[in-house]
Amino acid sequence: MATLFLDILTTSSMLFIVAAGLMIILGVMKLINFAHGAFLTVGGYSAHVVTDAGFNAWLTIPAAALVGFVLGIVVERVILRPLYDRPLDAILATWGLGIVIAQVITFIFGRGVQFAESPISGTADLFDISYSSWRLILVLVAVVLGAALTALLYFTRFGLNARAVIMNENLARGLGIDSVKVRALTFGLGAALACAAGALITPLLSIDPNMGLPWLVNSFMLVLVSGVAIPGLALASLLLGGAQVLVSTFVSPIIGGITIVVLAAVILRIKPQGLSRG
Amino acid sequence: MADITSQTPQRSLSPYWTTAIAAALALAVVLTAPLYLDIYLTNVLIRALFLGVLALTVDLVWGYTGILTFGQSAFFGIGAYACALVFTHWGFGPGWFVAALVIGILAAGLIAWLVGLLSFYHGASPLYSSIMTLALPIVLVQIIFSGGRFTGSSSGLSGFPTYYWSINTWFIIAGVLLVTVASLAWLFVRSDFGRILIAIRENEDRCAYLGIPVSAIKTGLFVVCGAIGSIAGFGYAAFTNVVAPELAGFLLGTESLVWVALGGRATLIGPILGAIGIDVTSSYLSGSLPFLWKFIVGVAFVVVIILLPNGIASLVTGAWRRYKARGKDETAAHRHRSNVTLVPAKSRRLEENLSDDKAPILIEALTCRYGSLTVLDGIEVVGRRGELLSIVGPNGAGKTTLMRCISNGGERTSGEVVIAGEKIGRRSPQKIVELGVGRSFQNTSLFDSLTVGDCLRLARYRIDGASYLERTERVALPEPALEILKATGLDRQLGLETRYLSHGMKRGLELAMVLATEPRVLLLDEPTAGLTKPERTAIGDVLTRLVEDYGLCVFLIEHDLDFVREISNRIVVLHQGKMLLDGSVEEVVSSDLVKAVYSGQETETPA
Repeated sequence: MATLFLDILTTSSMLFIVAAGLMIILGVMKLINFAHGAFLTVGGYSAHVVTDAGFNAWLTIPAAALVGFVLGIVVERVILRPLYDRPLDAILATWGLGIVIAQVITFIFGRGVQFAESPISGTADLFDISYSSWRLILVLVAVVLGAALTALLYFTRFGLNARAVIMNENLARGLGIDSVKVRALTFGLGAALACAAGALITPLLSIDPNMGLPWLVNSFMLVLVSGVAIPGLALASLLLGGAQVLVSTFVSPIIGGITIVVLAAVILRIKPQGLSRG
Repeated sequence: MADITSQTPQRSLSPYWTTAIAAALALAVVLTAPLYLDIYLTNVLIRALFLGVLALTVDLVWGYTGILTFGQSAFFGIGAYACALVFTHWGFGPGWFVAALVIGILAAGLIAWLVGLLSFYHGASPLYSSIMTLALPIVLVQIIFSGGRFTGSSSGLSGFPTYYWSINTWFIIAGVLLVTVASLAWLFVRSDFGRILIAIRENEDRCAYLGIPVSAIKTGLFVVCGAIGSIAGFGYAAFTNVVAPELAGFLLGTESLVWVALGGRATLIGPILGAIGIDVTSSYLSGSLPFLWKFIVGVAFVVVIILLPNGIASLVTGAWRRYKARGKDETAAHRHRSNVTLVPAKSRRLEENLSDDKAPILIEALTCRYGSLTVLDGIEVVGRRGELLSIVGPNGAGKTTLMRCISNGGERTSGEVVIAGEKIGRRSPQKIVELGVGRSFQNTSLFDSLTVGDCLRLARYRIDGASYLERTERVALPEPALEILKATGLDRQLGLETRYLSHGMKRGLELAMVLATEPRVLLLDEPTAGLTKPERTAIGDVLTRLVEDYGLCVFLIEHDLDFVREISNRIVVLHQGKMLLDGSVEEVVSSDLVKAVYSGQETETPA
C-alpha cells in the first residue's frame, strides 16, 4: 500500500517535471513544442557527457539546463520566429526539428544505449519500506520547481511581462513590452526546463536517441488537461499519473501506458479548457 | 477574359476527359514500368505506391480540409492487420481475401466515425481534433501490443498465406489502386463538394452560419479517407507478407505529414511524389547512409515549412501561374474562367412566409452573461412577418451579442428564442440556419481563395446539395439575391476570387449569400458600414423589397440613424444590455431618453 502510494507520488512528480517546460512554452507562445521529446533526450545526453567526463553527478542538472537554454534561444531565432503567424506550421517545424536532433545525436553517440551516473543511488527507508532515493528526491524537485515557477511568474518583472503577453499580446506590445524578447526568453526557459528534466529522469532510465519520445505525448496531454496553469498541471499530473500507476498495477502495464492519453481525450471533450478554467 | 480562354483551349474539355486522359497516361506508365525496372526497385516501388495512397488521404484531410491529422497511419494499420489476422487465424482463399478486405474497410470506417464524432463538434478547437488523431495510433499500437500471440505483439505477424503473384502483377495492382484513388480524388477536390472542403479550411465558422453541416462533412471525409487508407494497408500487408505495429504507429502518421508537406499540400500530385520519392530514396540509402538520410529529410522538412509553406510543388505551380499571367495585371491571373450561370430558384420558403401566421421570431427573457458580466439582460422582442426592425444603441450595448444569441443556441445563458414556432434550444448554428435564420457579419468574413460563383454555390449547399465529382454550372438563387448581385455588378464578376473584390462588392456578396439560404428571419450586422451613398441606397431598396414583397422579418444593426429612420418599421433601443425602448420610428426618434443615451448623458434614472 505504501509502495503504491509512493509510486503514484513519484510518477506524478516525474510527469510534472517533464511537462513543465512544455507548459511554459504553450502558455506564453501558444505553441506546442513537438521538439520537447528531443530536448529531453538532449538533457539525457548532456548528463551522460558530464558524468562520463568525471564530473560530479549533481552537475548534470545545471549543465543540461544551460545546454537547453542556449539551444532554445537558437531554435527560437532560426526556426520559430518566421512562423509566429502560422501556428500549425510551427508545430510541424518543431516536429521536424525533433527528427533532426535525434539524428544528430545518433551521429555523435551512435544508436546504442548509454547510462549516466546517478547523484544518489540506493534506497531510503520510509513508511517501513525501502524505496528508491532518487525517486523520492524527484518529489522534492517537483515541489520546488512548482514553487519556483509560480514565483517567477508572479513576483518578477519577466513574469509580469510574460503574463501580459499571455493575456493580450497586442496590448502588451502597445504598452512597450518587447514581446519578441519575452518569447525568446520563454522558449529558452522552456527548453532549459526540458533538458534539465531529461537529466533528472536519466538516473531511472537508460539513454537512447529516442528516449524523449514516449514522454512527449503524455506531457502534451497533461499540459492541455491542466488548462495551462501550474496548479492545474500539478493536479493533472496527480490525477492522470495516479490513474496510470493504478491501471498499470492492477490491470496491465500496457493498458497503463495509454491511460493518460485516453483519459485526457475524454476530459478535454467534456472540459475543452482543461481543469483550471471554467 | 476572352484571350485567357483562347490561350488555354484544353480547359474547355470536360474535366472528366482531362482526368481520364491523365489517368490513362499514368496507367500506361504503370503497365510498362516493370519492363525496364529492376526487381529491387520494383519491390521498393510497390510499397511506395501503397504509401502514396496513404499520403493522398492525408492530403485530403489536412491539405484540403485543414484538419492536422497525425493518425491516418492507424487506418493503414487496421487494413494491414485485418489482412494478417484473417489469413493467419481464420483462413485463406478468394472468399477470405474479400472478407478480410471488407472487415478492414468496415473497421477503419467505424473507428474513423467514432473519432470523428468525438473530435468534430461545433466550437471544437482544431487542436482538439489533432489531439484525437494523435491519441488514435498510440492507443491502437498499445492494443496490438497487448494482443499477445493473436496479434504477434511487438514483433507483428509474418509468413501468413497470401497470393504469391509475380512482382509485376503486384506492381500493377498497386499502381492501378493509386491511379484510381488519385483520379477520383482529383475530380472530387475540383467538384462542388471539393470547394466546400476548401471553404471549411478557410473559414469554418462562416460555413456553419451558411447552414453547412461542417462537423458531419468532416466526419464523413474522415470515414472515407480511413476506408481508403485501410485498403492501402491491406494491399501493403498482402504484398509484403509482414505486419508490425509500426504500420499503425504515430511515427508513420507523422512521416506521412512530412511527405505531404514536402510534396505540397492540397496538390494531390505533390504528396504522391513526396511519398514515393522519400520512401524509395530511403530504401536505397538506408543501407549506406541511414542516419544521414533521415537527417536530410528532417532538415528539408523544416526548411520547406519555413520557406515554402506550399511545398516543393509550389515552385512548379508558381512558375506555371507566372507563365500564364505574364503581361497581365495581377487580378487577371486570379480571374478564373467562369462557367457559372445564375438562374432564379423556386424559393418555396419565401412564398410560405406570406401565408405563415406564426411569428417568425420570438425572443423571451433572453439573458447572456460572461462570468459576472451581464451583456444582455431579459430581452423580450417579437419580430413580425414583413417587418424591418432596427436595433440601435451605443457601442457595447449588446447588439452583436443579441445576434449571436439568436444564431447560435450555445451562446445565451438563459431565456429562449423561438423561430416560427420552434424553440432553438441549444442547437448549433447550422441547425438554426435550417430553421430559417440568416446572419450576416459585421466584418466581411468571406472565403478568400474562392470565386464569387463558388461562394454563391456554397451558400446553396443546404438547399441544393453538392455534386461529389463535378462542377455544376447553374446556381439557382432566389430573386432577391439575384437583384443584389445585379445592383452591385457582381453578376459580371462570378469568376473573380473574392479577395480582389471591392469593399462594397464584398458587402453585397455577403448579403446575397445569406439570402441564398432562403431565411425567414434575416439578421444583418451593419450591412452598410463603409459603403458609398449609392451603394447604401441600393441595399436599402433591396431590404425594403425583402420586407414588403417577400414578407421577411429583418433585424438590422445600424449606427446611421438617418438610414434607420428611412427604412425601419420599428426600432429597439438597447443600452448596457437592457431594452430601453421598443416602438415605432416616431416614438423612438422623439424620445428624450434616446437622445440622452446617444449624447452620453447620465441615464441612471430613466424617465
